[in-house]
Amino acid sequence: MQKYISEQNLNTLIDTLIAAGTRVVAPRMSAGIPLYEPLENSAEMIIDQLPRRSAKEAFFPVCEEIMSYEKEGQQVKINDVDPSRFPETVLVGVRPCDAAAIPVLDAVFSWDYKDEFFLERRRKTTIIGLACTAADDACFCTAVGLSPAETRGSDLFLTPLNGGGYACQSYSEKGEALITTNSNLFSELNNAAPLPLAAPQADKIDLKKVKSWLDGHFEDPLWDGIAVRCVGCGACAFVCPACHCFDIVDEGTEKAGKRRKSWDACGFWKFTHHASGHNPRDLQPKRYRNRIMHKFKYYDDKFGQTLCTGCGRCVRICPVGIDIAAIVEEISNKEIS
Amino acid sequence: MPLTSQPIDTSIYTTITAAIRSEASRLFTAGEVVAIIGYAAARRVGSAQPIIITNAADAEKLIFTHACVNNLAVYLTKAKKEIPKTGKIGVVVKGCDLKALVGLMGESQLKREDLYLIGIPCNGVLGSTVQPATALTTESIASKCCDCNSHLPTGCDFVPNVALPPGLQMESRYSVEIARLEALTPAERWAYWKEQFAKCIKCYACRQVCPFCFCEQCLCDRNKPQMVDTTPRPAGNTAWHIVRAMHLAGRCAGCAECERVCPMDIPLNLLNRKMAKELKELYDYEAGFEVNDKGPLTMFTEKDDQSFIK
Repeated sequence: MQKYISEQNLNTLIDTLIAAGTRVVAPRMSAGIPLYEPLENSAEMIIDQLPRRSAKEAFFPVCEEIMSYEKEGQQVKINDVDPSRFPETVLVGVRPCDAAAIPVLDAVFSWDYKDEFFLERRRKTTIIGLACTAADDACFCTAVGLSPAETRGSDLFLTPLNGGGYACQSYSEKGEALITTNSNLFSELNNAAPLPLAAPQADKIDLKKVKSWLDGHFEDPLWDGIAVRCVGCGACAFVCPACHCFDIVDEGTEKAGKRRKSWDACGFWKFTHHASGHNPRDLQPKRYRNRIMHKFKYYDDKFGQTLCTGCGRCVRICPVGIDIAAIVEEISNKEIS
Repeated sequence: MPLTSQPIDTSIYTTITAAIRSEASRLFTAGEVVAIIGYAAARRVGSAQPIIITNAADAEKLIFTHACVNNLAVYLTKAKKEIPKTGKIGVVVKGCDLKALVGLMGESQLKREDLYLIGIPCNGVLGSTVQPATALTTESIASKCCDCNSHLPTGCDFVPNVALPPGLQMESRYSVEIARLEALTPAERWAYWKEQFAKCIKCYACRQVCPFCFCEQCLCDRNKPQMVDTTPRPAGNTAWHIVRAMHLAGRCAGCAECERVCPMDIPLNLLNRKMAKELKELYDYEAGFEVNDKGPLTMFTEKDDQSFIK
């Protein structure tokens, strides 16, 4: 179903949803930086800046409680978190690179263990994607087979039109339902042309070839060459829409505390530090190799997908300028023996 | 910040690049160094990244531009096990980076004779939130450069022979911000920092780039006992940032790498500058200018302020 919605009506839709008790998450300024966060009202939404962190946190928060405990004498009381209390959510203004990462994450969170926290939020969330009209030279969605008009992951997809408003296409029953329930805010699509979309400069990379090379080069001088400069922080993983490793810790006292799940990163020395003291990834190039292997080989081996959507966030924020797009391109140009 | 942004002359950086290359080539040919840590161009337009070269042929890769923001001193610490520390290592340093090396020498982490210092006459580098292709202006420049007192590093083994263009007078952004915060009530100030620390996602980029965070195992990575909560929540975030600020007091000389790399734009160097200001007022001490094996917080003298004892 292709429809038209004006900017004003999109705001009305957001305010109507909020008034009805739905959590609406969209890019907004938060202590000086753009982030996907719950809106108080539609005026808070900003759509001209890529949020500093991806939309994955709407399903997989930076940190969440998964259980709490209390101990009195010999009695221990465990309180589970009840995911059924998670609110119905509409995610608005999601960039194609962020939306496309969500179905990629579905694979791992619903694999051998069904992550009820991720999946319940996923079930209750409708994603309204937004075509991208501005790119910088860190953007490389086009290199990994996506585009500024990619609709994967979106239930509804908005394309900004010349003269204002959006063309609105639904891609799922959830998207369809949002239009039907709020049909007064949508109208027939006129002939307005879409605004010119962003044009990332990155050429398409042959990801199959990248994977073939990775299959045979766990040991290779490339890793030292590109990653000796890596300082071992978790910034790249934390801003990534597809990285999904987490840690689970108990915090509190002997008497009471909470079990929490929070983001983790393979760049950290501690990530593979064994209780014995041994660390199989003892130096940074081995850790960085894992980042590339997981994204372009292991995840493909397991789920047939690539764990990178080309948002460019890691390229922009890496403290030492490590550029995953340049690295994958370099790998794609290697001779496969 | 001035109302209108003025361009900053970076024309000397072309001459500096040529000089670094020829000196690097000479050093390898003469066998004076085993490696040189410098900057090379990266894929994004105008961008630069750290590079470690080990032969004369790679000297051509070295550059210096206003996108050469990193403090390369971090690669010389024992925390960076990837970089072999055998033989003399050449390192490209701006004046602000040199202060960190001076501090590390004072703390017996480095020996001067193991280093070949290639000093850069520097007119400023870019701030962290601008695109690398941006021209250097009084607006795009890094905050630390606005009140730089070390444009020309001293005591280096080699400094390209160029005349620094006359510097523009810029207001110290940190002084303005410190004055603003000092004028607040403690409750207001606390509210400000609470909001800033709430943004922390515990990526530890600030720790990993800091030349002075060379502990083999950070307190925050220990779990027996668990001194600091690891999750990115108010308690652990606040504890971490206070530990960090206190541990750097009297040592941090303001390279501002922590602030530059923070993906959440937490003004970390503001805390460091405030601590430095306190140290200056209490002990007339400024880190980074001479090799001292004892900083003001690691020794007692009878002249020390004791007014806090009541």
